[in-house]
Amino acid sequence: MRARADLLVGLPAAAGSVALVTMAIAVLKPHVPVLSLPVLYELAIIPVAVLWGVTLATVVSVASMLAFNWFFLPPTHTFQLSDAENWLALAVFLVTAVAVSVLATQARHRAQLAAERGLEAEAVRRSDTMKTAVLHAVSHDLRSPLTAIVAAASGLGNPDLHLPEADRDELVATIRTEAERLDRVVGNLLDLSRLRSGVAEPHQELWTADDLVSRALDELGPQHERVVTELDGDAPPVHVDAAQIERALVNLLDNALKFSPPSSPVRIRLESRGTELLVHVEDDGPGVAPADREAVFEAFQRGDGTARGAGLGLAIARGFAEVNGARVWAENGGGGHFVLALPT
Amino acid sequence: MSRVLVVDDEPQILRALQTGLRGAGYEVDTAATGGEALTAAAVRPPDAVILDLVLPDMRGTEVCRELRTWSTVPVIVLSVVGDEDEKVAALDAGADDYVTKPFGLDELLARLRAALRRAEPSAEPVLEIGELRIDLEAHTVTFDGRSVQLTPHEYSLLTLLARNEGKLLTHQAILRDVWGKAYADESHYLHVYVSQLRRKLEPDPARPRYILTEPGAGYRLVDPLRTS
Repeated sequence: MRARADLLVGLPAAAGSVALVTMAIAVLKPHVPVLSLPVLYELAIIPVAVLWGVTLATVVSVASMLAFNWFFLPPTHTFQLSDAENWLALAVFLVTAVAVSVLATQARHRAQLAAERGLEAEAVRRSDTMKTAVLHAVSHDLRSPLTAIVAAASGLGNPDLHLPEADRDELVATIRTEAERLDRVVGNLLDLSRLRSGVAEPHQELWTADDLVSRALDELGPQHERVVTELDGDAPPVHVDAAQIERALVNLLDNALKFSPPSSPVRIRLESRGTELLVHVEDDGPGVAPADREAVFEAFQRGDGTARGAGLGLAIARGFAEVNGARVWAENGGGGHFVLALPT
Repeated sequence: MSRVLVVDDEPQILRALQTGLRGAGYEVDTAATGGEALTAAAVRPPDAVILDLVLPDMRGTEVCRELRTWSTVPVIVLSVVGDEDEKVAALDAGADDYVTKPFGLDELLARLRAALRRAEPSAEPVLEIGELRIDLEAHTVTFDGRSVQLTPHEYSLLTLLARNEGKLLTHQAILRDVWGKAYADESHYLHVYVSQLRRKLEPDPARPRYILTEPGAGYRLVDPLRTS
């Protein structure tokens, strides 16, 4: 399509430029030796070669040669030539013209390549910036639990410290919960890469929401004590991949626990609506600003606007919800309020 | 008993440090945000502050700068690899030292002890650090009993480092103090003078034991007999 449109402009432009140069030669002919003039046709050939390529430039070269022969070489107004010298001149002209076209086309090609390389370099630079941001965020999420573990372990191992039994127990508990948190961060990274590469194939079965919620609470570790559940034995079963929806639920709960005061409860309740079963997760934290309601579901984003970690949890919750035909969104409300809508 | 204010928004890190520091005999206050930290430092002035550089409401560097407008309490910042610029900014804003996450409790305790020791005002006219002896009144320096001849700039540089024994001083802070404000960006001056000082003092200038380089941040003078 593009080539034909090019030719529609190229052909008349080429013909016009050959005519123009021919007229110019007619004007100059009385003043200079006639055989020095064909070189002026290069003025038509080079732009054509650069703009439309070597094929059209060759056509223009041949047309130029014929025009010169017709108008200026004796016997004029025929394509015959009286002089062997003129034959040679025209042949040299044609070869030169084609060679120049080829060179001009190559020059254009190189210029294009250079421009493309510039764009590639720009893209690489942009992706490097993104990678740096990702690494920074991931390193925060990995280092925070590591810092707590190393500090607690080196405290336990230091014979000079006076640690009562309760404090020793607390340090041991810290090491355990932080190791589990670290494991969740690593799991999240793997989940995200699975979702991104499209290999998170769901194995959907019928499950009760009670089952899914209790498995998620189990996964949550000691923090589950802050979660207040309001389950419903009559809720319809849902058709989902249990492991994936469990991850989505754990991440929603983890998020609620992380962004609400440590002493406040996180509530989870069910609501049947149409062909969906809604799981509400609510907390007493600051909630999500209306402008950030979609952004929080993007990987490496956080609602609070600071760069304090990857914030992978919600992105993964949405990823797993979507492959299961479920939906997840942030609601308006006093505190944090997220809804996971599962297909029944 | 010294009181330490620990500022970090990660409750688990806060808990682990609180338990560990208490076990080492410190009284511990905690804060989870920059705002809480400044209030706590004003209400119950601590003897030292351990400050995370990344807080939910403000940068640790800002907390440090704010704190320095009315307090000289030693501040140790918690930084991470990859955050070198922020770390140097915090030191320039008045922080005394840093440890890099993840860190062992022993390392933090050593830095804390050094910071608290420096905070004790010393009226001694003679500084003795390992084999190094500086007589501030007579302006003389000896090393392992032998007299060391220093130029005025070398002498100011050495006394600045020695008065802040164990403390990391940034390039900017040293240049401003020894050469004046106009030289604050002339780091190469400093590198040249430090290597001259090392040649005059250190038994093996290629493996300095007294004047240590903190890459990308600054220098600190330590007592090799005490740290080893």
